[in-house]
Amino acid sequence: MTMTDRSKTEEAMLDGLFEAERRTAPLPSGDWLARMEAMALEQQPAPRPAPAPMPRLRGGGWREALRAFGGWPALAGLAAACAAGVWIGVASPQTMTTLLSADSGNTLSALDPASGFDYAMLGL
Amino acid sequence: MPYDAMSTESDESLLAAYAAGDQAAARALVQRLGPRAFGHAVRMLGGDRAEAEDVAQEALLRLWRAAPGWREGEAKVSTWLYRVVSNLCIDRIRKRRGGTVDLDEIAEPADPGPGAEASLQGRARSGALQEALDALPERQRQAVVLRHLEGLSNPEIAGIMDLGVRAVESLTARGRKALEGLLAGRRAELGYDDD
Repeated sequence: MTMTDRSKTEEAMLDGLFEAERRTAPLPSGDWLARMEAMALEQQPAPRPAPAPMPRLRGGGWREALRAFGGWPALAGLAAACAAGVWIGVASPQTMTTLLSADSGNTLSALDPASGFDYAMLGL
Repeated sequence: MPYDAMSTESDESLLAAYAAGDQAAARALVQRLGPRAFGHAVRMLGGDRAEAEDVAQEALLRLWRAAPGWREGEAKVSTWLYRVVSNLCIDRIRKRRGGTVDLDEIAEPADPGPGAEASLQGRARSGALQEALDALPERQRQAVVLRHLEGLSNPEIAGIMDLGVRAVESLTARGRKALEGLLAGRRAELGYDDD
């Protein structure tokens, strides 16, 4: 047998030994595995609590505010009142000036909270 | 999640589930990694099953303690475990030997599997291989065991041993040559014909 042949047979023998050894991997006993399982559970961190549901951000706050106002009808009334206030503020004061002018007695009496009729009724 | 459903999960996913408190993940990891750690320790420790159990237990304990801080994608769990087992084994071998090889302290070879049913020749071959492995320098033995018995790739072994791939190739090649030399004189005894 040549050196090369001898080397090949030795390689083949070693490969055969490796293969046989891989097939018969040393396995731990069931008792040891049971102990390892108990140890793993003992060392395990406590389960994390389930994450609390996130508050619904989109629209949630607005809905609450709307409910506090009394719903859509109340909001519509509020909007109308706001619009009226803006109109009163923005509109020209000419009309009010005319109404309240001193040379317009009828109008002034109309605006007097205690009219002549009322005074007559009271005997004044 | 039921235990069976975890068989396809990666080690890293299972470890993350373990850290989150999933008991099924704990059981799955023990079943998957326990035999691997034990088997590697047996081969590194010359077939000493009792010592291998201690080493594998220590390695698993370290894994459970590392689990909460484990960052997925940073390291493979199996690579990490092989490295810990290997290092623990080398520490024990050094302590046992006190720096010299004492053949009397080499344990009897491991029972190669189905106990009494294994053939005498199978036991003799397994024992001869284990004895030859025990005679190798630690790093060569580690590389040969990981490559030829655990079936890992050279890059994986490089990761475990903190070496370059070329260095691993060199170690395994030298280890193989040494084993062939150690076993060459036992061909007939082990039932290998010279033809």
